[in-house]
Amino acid sequence: MTSEPWLRAVDLCRFYKRGPQTVHALAGVTLDVGRGEFLGIVGASGSGKSTLLNLLAGLDTPTSGFVQIGDRRLSVMSRKELSRYRACQVGMIFQSFNLIAHYTALQNVETALVFNDVPQKERRTAALAILGQLGLADRVSHRPADLSGGEQQRVAVARAIVKKPSILFADEPTGNLDYENSMQIAELLRQLNHSGLTVVMVTHNLEMANAYSHRIARMQYGKMTGDDEGMPQKGPRT
Amino acid sequence: MTVRDFISIPAGNLWRMKLRTILTVAGIVIAIAAFVSMVSFGTGTQENVDKQFNELGLLTTMQVFPQHRPNEPQSFGEPKLDLTALSRFERIPGVLLVYPYDPFVVHVRIGDTTLESRAQSLSHAAMQTKLFSQIRAGKIFEGDSSRSALISGELLKNAGIDNAESVIGKQLIVSMQVSTIDSALRHLLVDKGESIIDRVRRIQLDSLLNDDNYLRTTLRTEANEAVRRFVSGFLNARRTVSDTLTICGVVESERMGRMRMEPVIIPFKTGERFTTSGFSGNPADLFTAMSSGNLFQSADDRSGKSFSQVTINFDPHVFYATIKDSIEAQGFRTFSFAAEFDQIQKAFVYLDLALGAVGLLALLTASLGIVNTMAMSLLERKREIGIFKSLGADESEIRLLFLAESGTIGLIGSSFGIISGWIITRIVTIIAHIYMRRQGIPEVELFSLPIWLVLVALAVGTGVAVLAGLYPASRAARVDPVEALRND
Repeated sequence: MTSEPWLRAVDLCRFYKRGPQTVHALAGVTLDVGRGEFLGIVGASGSGKSTLLNLLAGLDTPTSGFVQIGDRRLSVMSRKELSRYRACQVGMIFQSFNLIAHYTALQNVETALVFNDVPQKERRTAALAILGQLGLADRVSHRPADLSGGEQQRVAVARAIVKKPSILFADEPTGNLDYENSMQIAELLRQLNHSGLTVVMVTHNLEMANAYSHRIARMQYGKMTGDDEGMPQKGPRT
Repeated sequence: MTVRDFISIPAGNLWRMKLRTILTVAGIVIAIAAFVSMVSFGTGTQENVDKQFNELGLLTTMQVFPQHRPNEPQSFGEPKLDLTALSRFERIPGVLLVYPYDPFVVHVRIGDTTLESRAQSLSHAAMQTKLFSQIRAGKIFEGDSSRSALISGELLKNAGIDNAESVIGKQLIVSMQVSTIDSALRHLLVDKGESIIDRVRRIQLDSLLNDDNYLRTTLRTEANEAVRRFVSGFLNARRTVSDTLTICGVVESERMGRMRMEPVIIPFKTGERFTTSGFSGNPADLFTAMSSGNLFQSADDRSGKSFSQVTINFDPHVFYATIKDSIEAQGFRTFSFAAEFDQIQKAFVYLDLALGAVGLLALLTASLGIVNTMAMSLLERKREIGIFKSLGADESEIRLLFLAESGTIGLIGSSFGIISGWIITRIVTIIAHIYMRRQGIPEVELFSLPIWLVLVALAVGTGVAVLAGLYPASRAARVDPVEALRND
């Protein structure tokens, strides 16, 4: 745990109506994330990990409680401000990559800068540079269907970090990958964290969370059940 | 997002779904083509009417009539439309020219053909007005005493001559049967060898004074006899007045509504030979003269002659209503095309609206296609919208992307619709011109595609498409990114 929390979730609840039933996806979760931290959130399927991540990323709004980034609560932000938050401060990667199928790798990465007020020419330069850094220079004109799962996820990572976000949310980033590709992606996230990027990774893979994150938050049935130190020797905290 | 993004992203999506885009655009193309060709027809018709009004100077021409209608008797004290009235009209500010319509029945001989027709005499100044400017062949006569005449295309056609140029310079023999009051009076005094004195002598004066029955019978008999003698003298003692003139020109048409033009037009001074010789022999002229109090006037005395119609040409800078009010205040009826023109313009606005409405109905139907296309697109691209939102797109940007897409469909459809509409009007025009040529009708442009219509069609087509995209766009903007990005 860092000395000063930067991203805070306080008593977060998220309930869904499913017909006559109310699903308690999150039931009073409180969590602090420090700047530069690599936080792993682990839990079984349906424990509320992804819901928590969506709330932290400003994609969803809590039923009660609040998320605070720096000194601003997301709940007081207008829709426009929330969009700006996602556009400028947040990078997201998903288990199923969520690349746009009819765009090339380059276009997918460029798209992250469309909503960021980055001029057209700079978008291409930045996207090519980041794809090059991630070893995808020869894949820029390929569509997702022509790429392997590992390559697709690296394109997704490139898309998430090309806008230089403050925090990266990874929702089961290795869930659809084989062991080798999973390790590559995890290593990539660790490197990004080393370069100062705050990473919050949701996974059900406790071993990987242990290996790469500074701290592990455990979730079960929509609640936090524990908060363990990870392996600090693998990544510096700021 | 930049403007370029709002163009390139929707354009890319449309390009990806080519067949669907083409089919949706085709609906707009058909609707806009229908809208453009229909409104273009209304506009073309309006322009034709405007052109004719201006070419004939109808907007600066006014017709003046006596207060009574043509088939009504003249009422007591009604002002006469005579030379005195004409000179009063000339003094009205803004009036440039005043000339009467004074037709007469004639027989004309062109080559070997003799036809009964009508003629009028007109001054050279009147002939120089726009009303008589449509000359098919030749030119107008040189002056009021010129020994030439103009004939109409219709007269030529009746004479079986097709080529108007061929009659220019040819002889035109104009003749007219006239009756005079002098011969009527002569017959009143002496008829069939019996003088009026002989008849008076036969009357029994005693019986006339003492027998009421005899008095009534005798007066009726003598009155009837006097009228018979007068009318018999009027109708049976006609003489022929004729003149041989040279055809100097052929005018296009004879009659434009109330703007009357007779088939034969003779210079004013030359025509006096006919207009001052007496009555045409038409009993109607006799009754007109009786009702106007000019029956026993000398034939060559035009001072008391009244006309059924007078034409006034006025300065285009003068408001027609000023002159109209001034003339109507003198007790005459007027007819002005300028007054009718406003009504005609209004009628054309309604015509354009009605034609445009038909096109708009087609456009509304096509817009349902856009709604369908955009709704399909929304369903297919929910995940894409979710990705955009996770990358920072706000609702208004998603909405605008969808609206730009439907607007692009409208813009492309409208552009091709305008081109298609124009092609349709050209094809119809070519067919119509072939028909007009075959029928001997002067060719006119049926359609007009002014720049305002192009802009309106573009705006309407794009606008309706954008409106059609509003609902799908608003649904797209409200897509829940969490739902859209959920792993299936």
